[in-house]
Amino acid sequence: MRLMNSQDYGFSATAIGGLVYKFMCLCYRSLDRVFDIIYWPVISLLLWGFTSMFIASTSSFSGVMEFFLGGAVLWSLFWRAQTDVGTFILEDFWSRNVYNLFASPVTSIELFVAIGLIGLIRCILSFLFLSFLAWGLYAFNIMDIGGTAIAVFTSVLLLFGWVIGILIAALIFRYGLRIQILAWSVGFIIQPFSCVFYPLDSMPGWVQGIAITLPSTHVFEGLRYAIATGELAWQPLLISLGLTAVLFVLSIAYFQYALYQAKKLGLLTRFEMA
Amino acid sequence: MALLEIRALRKRYGTVEALRGLSLDVERGEFFGLLGPNGAGKSTTINILLGLIIADSGSIRIFDHDFTSNHVAIRRRMNVAAAFTSMNGVLTVWENLMVYGRIYGVKHLPRKIDELLERFEITDLAKRRLQHLSSGQHTRVTLCKGFLNDPELLLLDECTVGLDPDIAEKTRRALQAVQRERKTTILFTSHNMNEVEELCGRIAFLSQGEILRVDTATHIKRLIPHQVVEVAFQAGSDLTPIRQLHGISRIEQNGDHALRFILDDPTRQLDPLLRHLTQSGNPIVDIHVSRPTLEDVFIKVARGEL
Repeated sequence: MRLMNSQDYGFSATAIGGLVYKFMCLCYRSLDRVFDIIYWPVISLLLWGFTSMFIASTSSFSGVMEFFLGGAVLWSLFWRAQTDVGTFILEDFWSRNVYNLFASPVTSIELFVAIGLIGLIRCILSFLFLSFLAWGLYAFNIMDIGGTAIAVFTSVLLLFGWVIGILIAALIFRYGLRIQILAWSVGFIIQPFSCVFYPLDSMPGWVQGIAITLPSTHVFEGLRYAIATGELAWQPLLISLGLTAVLFVLSIAYFQYALYQAKKLGLLTRFEMA
Repeated sequence: MALLEIRALRKRYGTVEALRGLSLDVERGEFFGLLGPNGAGKSTTINILLGLIIADSGSIRIFDHDFTSNHVAIRRRMNVAAAFTSMNGVLTVWENLMVYGRIYGVKHLPRKIDELLERFEITDLAKRRLQHLSSGQHTRVTLCKGFLNDPELLLLDECTVGLDPDIAEKTRRALQAVQRERKTTILFTSHNMNEVEELCGRIAFLSQGEILRVDTATHIKRLIPHQVVEVAFQAGSDLTPIRQLHGISRIEQNGDHALRFILDDPTRQLDPLLRHLTQSGNPIVDIHVSRPTLEDVFIKVARGEL
């Protein structure tokens, strides 16, 4: 069997519908999946909201609230997108459903389209909830940044979240459940380098070298620029969008490779017995 | 043209050679058994046929198409029901079957699910979460999933494990009925030899990654040629002359007044033995002739004696 051939790129709307139906059932039948739309983002919003209130009251620095709350709300999108891919894949491992799923005619493309669709719905719900909460608690309206800016920022963060989620899913297929913690922990590693709550040029040189390669850094730099000037820095944003799109394709290719390796080594069937 | 053609299939895991050039043909509509001890290569074969494991070399043709280059289209026309696997535990039986029905593109899905739940007598479980079912109930849900898309080729891997004798019997009847009605080709593995013998027309006996023999159960049992005749005599019988009988492969004492005769060539040895016994003048109180069972063959294969 080759690594990938044309049939692996095809997809059936009915199969995607079946998978979306499964993820929806998982969402409303599992309190965890409902809880995680709200819990961590709200904690983060409260934390950064109070922090920004304190800083605003003790310094003359303007736009503190927008910087921190805008960062918190947008970061929750990346977080949601990334962990959703990992946890929805892990659900099949936990349920010992990997065997039946991969013995069925489902393709990886169908699987990721379905996860993407359900993830998008969950991201929108989470984003709307946080936006209303930020407005209610701190009188911060994220839409003041501008509809176009929000659309570009969220696109890059969603796509980048999926990239990381797909890479983690690939690693889980290759190395099994012993590395499942990555599904929740990788976001914490990426966050400090993404300049979510501080500007890029405030970081040490070696950190800047890493940060600049992350599409998320350009989003948060762009956010601060938009808040400060009311304009969008199009060029870095488009570069980061392009970079994310390339990473997205590469992550899918890596997933296919990891799945192929798992099949070569007979790992898919061993996960069932784990 | 066989529905399933496997040619020279090889698979190695490190130093362990799981399949050593396995070749097999399964005809359309056959109920075909795959037998062998643990590690013989049954599950590896089935998992390769499902695309869950990639073989090192060899070829597979299913429905007259190369499996490697058409595996998605081929898998739409086949299905599997395997013990020790599951679906999503937090979803109900109905929801799980809806998911797989859509994945397989089943038409009139709710009606189909109702029909299968009824056939496997689990209609009352439709709204129950999978994680709350007993293993026997779970097995029957797995079988419903296996038949959802009316597969032309169905792989059943130890699918009756965990069923009580009554439900196991009903399940076998249901399997036979569905297979007859739809002319489904079934590749069946089980460690229950009676079940294999009852259900399967032909059986492939695997050992150490190779096929030892493909034949009917009757012929496979002939791999062990001998028959055992156990005779109990009335108390006080003089068994000495009988024990000196020539032409019998082996004679063993089987209790105080009983003997066991092992016949390596029953067609030549049985008739003279019975004549001699009746002429010996010792009253016979019980006689039992046992032929080798599939289980005997299985045990001998597992111990490397065949």
